[in-house]
Amino acid sequence: MADKSSDLVQGTLEMLVLKTLAAGPMHGYGITLRIEQMSQGVFQVNPGSLFPALSRMERAGSIKAEWRATENNRRAKYYLLTDQGQAALKSETETWGRQIVAINRILEA
Amino acid sequence: MKALRSLVGGMKALFDKKRRNSDIDEELQSYMDAAVEEKMRRGMDRERALRVVRADVGSVEVVKHRVWSAGWEAAAESLWSDLRYTVRRLSRSPGLVLTVIVSIGLGIAANATIFSIVSRVALKPAPVGDPSRLITLYETHDGDQCCNEFSAPIYHDVRDQAKSFSGVSAYYELVPASISGGSEPERVWGQTVTANYFDVADLRMTLGRGFSRDEERAPVIVLGHGLWQRRFGGDPAIVGKTISLSGHVYSVVGVAPAGYRGLDQLLDPQFWVPLGELAELVPNPPDANVRSWHWLRVVARLRPGVTRAEAIAELNVFAQHFRETHADTDTGLGFRLEQAGSLPPRDKPAILLFLAALSVVVLLVLCIACANVANLLLALAASRQKEMGVRLALGATRSQLLRQMLMESLLLALGGGLLGVLLSVWGTSALSAFRLPAPIPLDLSVSVDWRVVLYSFLLSLVAGVVFGFVPAWQASRPVLSSALKGEDALARPGRRFSLRSILVVVQISLSLVLLCATGLFLRSLQGASKIDIGFRSRGVLMMAVDPQAHGYTPTRTLQLLAALRQRIATLPGVSSVASADLVPLSMGGRSDGFVAEGRTAPSGDPPGTELYMVSPGYFETMGIPRVSGRDLAEENPVAPKVAVVNEEFAQRLFQHDSPIGQRVTGGGVTYQIVGVVGNIKSRTLGEEDRPVLYRSINQNLSGDPSFNGYSLMVRYTGDPSALSAAIRHEINSLDPALAVFNTQTIEEHLRDALFLPRLAGTLFGVFGFIGILLATVGLYGVMSYTVSRRTHEIGIRIALGAQTGAVQKLIVTQGMRLTVIAIALGLPLALAASKLSASILYGVRPHDLVTFTTIPVIFLVVALLACWIPSRRASRVDPMKTLRCVG
Repeated sequence: MADKSSDLVQGTLEMLVLKTLAAGPMHGYGITLRIEQMSQGVFQVNPGSLFPALSRMERAGSIKAEWRATENNRRAKYYLLTDQGQAALKSETETWGRQIVAINRILEA
Repeated sequence: MKALRSLVGGMKALFDKKRRNSDIDEELQSYMDAAVEEKMRRGMDRERALRVVRADVGSVEVVKHRVWSAGWEAAAESLWSDLRYTVRRLSRSPGLVLTVIVSIGLGIAANATIFSIVSRVALKPAPVGDPSRLITLYETHDGDQCCNEFSAPIYHDVRDQAKSFSGVSAYYELVPASISGGSEPERVWGQTVTANYFDVADLRMTLGRGFSRDEERAPVIVLGHGLWQRRFGGDPAIVGKTISLSGHVYSVVGVAPAGYRGLDQLLDPQFWVPLGELAELVPNPPDANVRSWHWLRVVARLRPGVTRAEAIAELNVFAQHFRETHADTDTGLGFRLEQAGSLPPRDKPAILLFLAALSVVVLLVLCIACANVANLLLALAASRQKEMGVRLALGATRSQLLRQMLMESLLLALGGGLLGVLLSVWGTSALSAFRLPAPIPLDLSVSVDWRVVLYSFLLSLVAGVVFGFVPAWQASRPVLSSALKGEDALARPGRRFSLRSILVVVQISLSLVLLCATGLFLRSLQGASKIDIGFRSRGVLMMAVDPQAHGYTPTRTLQLLAALRQRIATLPGVSSVASADLVPLSMGGRSDGFVAEGRTAPSGDPPGTELYMVSPGYFETMGIPRVSGRDLAEENPVAPKVAVVNEEFAQRLFQHDSPIGQRVTGGGVTYQIVGVVGNIKSRTLGEEDRPVLYRSINQNLSGDPSFNGYSLMVRYTGDPSALSAAIRHEINSLDPALAVFNTQTIEEHLRDALFLPRLAGTLFGVFGFIGILLATVGLYGVMSYTVSRRTHEIGIRIALGAQTGAVQKLIVTQGMRLTVIAIALGLPLALAASKLSASILYGVRPHDLVTFTTIPVIFLVVALLACWIPSRRASRVDPMKTLRCVG
C-alpha cells in the first residue's frame, strides 16, 4: 500500500496530528485511523512516518505521552496536547490558511 | 528552553537506550494489535489481517531507526561509533600511528614554542587591573613616530591638566641597589615610581598595599614577589618590617603580585620605592626641574567612557600649547599613546619581523610534516582500497567514507598536537635558559600558556584536515571494478606524476631550504667564534661592585677600587688587575659624538664613539695591544683630562696624522689624546669596528658616574672559582656590606655574547634536523610503496632475465630523479631565503659556497640510502612467487 502521507507537505503531518489530538488524548493507531477517516481515505499515515514525528513533537514539547489502558484493556501509549501544542496548532492553522488562500489566488489568476 | 529540553531528552535516550528501544517495541506492538483488531472488526480473518498490517508497518527495525534519527542523539551516536571504529582500526597499525604522531608532534612543538614567544611579547595583556584602559604615554619630537621619555615638568603639566585620565603616574625605569642584612649582600634592580603608581596600575597586591598619596618621599618599599620569595623566604609577616637598601632603611609596605615585573616588556625589576627616594639610590639623579631632561616613563589610566581618540585629541591640544609657552624646550613636541605593557615602540617592528620570520620557518616544518603524513596515509589508503570498494559496493555513501577517514586524520593530528604541546613545554624551558650579555636584569622567560594550547589545538585541527583530506578524497573514490578485483584502484590511467611523488618533491625542497639555513647559521656560529674581538678571550675573571649604591662618595669609591686592585694583585695566580666601568661586548654603554679641535670636521654627524672609563693596567690585563703613545697611568683627578683612543677613532678623526697630543671634545668634555691602541668589538660580535675612547677612571668618575657599578678585571692563571672566592674575601674584608655581582670569566661572557648566533644555530639546527628526517622517511615510504606496487612487473622483468643490478637501478633512478628535481627547485628558494637572514650572520656571506654545496650533497647521499633499501627488496623479488599469486 502506498504511503500517501509522503505526499504531505513537510511539517503538515505534525499539524494534522496536533489537530487530531485537539479532540482528546489518543494512541498511535488511533491517530492513523482518525486522519484516514477525516481525510476520507486520502491520507494514510504509515507508522514509519508517524512515530518519528511523534518523537520529534514530544521532544519539542508540543505533546506529551503516557501509558494508559485502552477500551479493550490493553496497554497503549497515549498522546496528549500540551498548552504549547495548543498554541502551535493555532498559529500553524493560521499560517496554513493564509498560504492556501495565497496559493489559490495564484492558481486562479 | 526548547534546546535544553531537546538536550535533556537526547541525553536520557542515550543513557537509557535499552528502555527506549523496548518502549518503541511495545508501542509498535500495541499499534499492530490495535490495527489487527480493527481489520478483524471490519470482517477480515485473523491471518489476513496480520499479513496486511505487517506489510503496512514494514520492518520494525526501520521504524525504530527512523524514530531514533528524529533526535540529535542519533548523529552523536553514529559519531561515537565512528570514533570507536576509527580507534580500533588505528590500533591495528601502531607503527603508522607512532610515525604520524611523532611527525605532527614535532611540527606542532616547533610552532607552539615559537608561538609562546609571540604570546609572551605581543598577546599577553599587562598583569594589571583592566589592562585595556591602561596607557603608556610617550613624547615625540618633530613629528617623528618614536619616542622619548617624559621630562618631570611636562609630566606634572599633563598630570595636572589632563581630563581624559583618572590617574597619571610616572616611574624611572631601572635603579640598582644592594640589599643587605641576613645573608650575603646582593645587588638587585628596582624602579622608583610616583606614589599613585600602584593605584593607577590597579594591582592586586599579594601582601599589604601600594604607596599612599603622602609617601612621595617616604622610605617605604614594595617588594617584587620573586625577591620576597627568594630573599625573605616568603615571610608572611614581612609587611611593617624594615630592610636595608644600599645603606638606607626602608619599611616594607607591600608585596607585588606573583609574575608582576613592571610595565616594560623584558625588564625584570624586583622592588619599587617612591620616586622621591631616587637621590638616595642613584648618584647624580636626573634633575626634576629641567624641562629638557627626558627620563620618566608615564602610564595613565583612561577615565571610564573616554576613548583613546579623545585622549589623543586632548594631548594634541596640550602639545600645541606647550610648544607656544615653552618655545625654548618644547619645540616640535608631540605625544603618542601605546597600550601599557606592549613592546617598546622603537623596537616593536624589528621584534615582530623576527618573530614573523621564525613563525614562517616553523610553519614550513609543519608543512613538511603534513606532506609526510599525507604520503603515509596515501599508502594506507592504497592498502585499504579493497575494503573501501566493498563498502561502496554494499551501499556506503562517499560522504560516510570521507567522514570516517577525516575523523581518523583529525584524531591522529590531535594526538600529534598533544605530543607537540608536551614537547614545547620542554622547548620553552630550554629557550628560557638563554641569557643576553646585558648588565641590566632582563626577563626573557617564555612558557606555554592557554593561548599557546589553544593555538596548538587549532593548528592541529587544520593540519589534520590538510594532511587528511587528499588521501581521504582519493581513497573514497576508488575505481570500483579494479578495487573489487584486488588491483590497484587508485591508479588512474594517464597520470604521469602521482600525487605522492609531488608531495615528496615539495617535502625535500622545503627541508633543503631549512637545512641550508641551518648550515648558514652553524657556519656563522663557527665564524663568530673566530672573529678577532681585539682583546683576551680567556684567563680573565670579572667581578663587579657598586660602591656608590652604598653611599660612597666618588673619592672614597676611587680609594676603594685602588685598594682592591692593590690587594688582588698580590693574590696567587694573578698577573695583572684593572677596573673599568663596563665590560666590552655588553651590548653598549656610554657613547658620544666626538670632534677634533682645530680641524674641519668631516661632513655628517660626528662619529658616535664608545666611552670606557678605565684604570691603569687595563690594556695589559685585557690584552689590547698598544699602537703608539703611552698607557693611562694614575692620572691626577684635577689635571686636564687625557684619553687613549683606538685605531678606528684615530683613522676617522685624524686620517693619516698622528693623534697623539691632539684634543678632542665629546659630550661637552675635552680630552687630550696620549695613546692609541688596537680595535676591539665593543657592543656586539658582529659589528664593524667602532671608534672607542678610553678615559681615566680617576679623572671622570665624579663627573660621570656609572649606573652599572665598576668591574674588576683580573688576569689569572689557575682555578677561577678559588680566585673568585679569594677576591670576594678581599672585598668583604674592606666592606662586608658591599654586594658583589656579575661574577664571570671572560669565556662565560663571550658565550653569552654569542647569544644570537647560538640561538639561531640551535633553533635552525633542530628544525633542519626534523626537516631532513621527515623528508627521508617520506622518500623511503614512497619508494617502498612503489616497490610493493610494482612487484608484479619486477617479477616479470626478473623472469625475462633482468639482472639484480638492473632492477635496483630501476628503483634508485626513479627515487633519485625526484630528489634531483626537488634540489633544483629548492636551491633557488634557499638562496633567496639566505638573503633575508644576512643581517644576523657573522663572518659568513649569505651565498656561502660551503653551505650551498655541502647541503645538496648530504641530501643526495641520504636520498640514495632511502632509495637503496627498498631497491634491495625489489631485487630479491621471487619471480615464481609473484607470478603465481597475482597472475
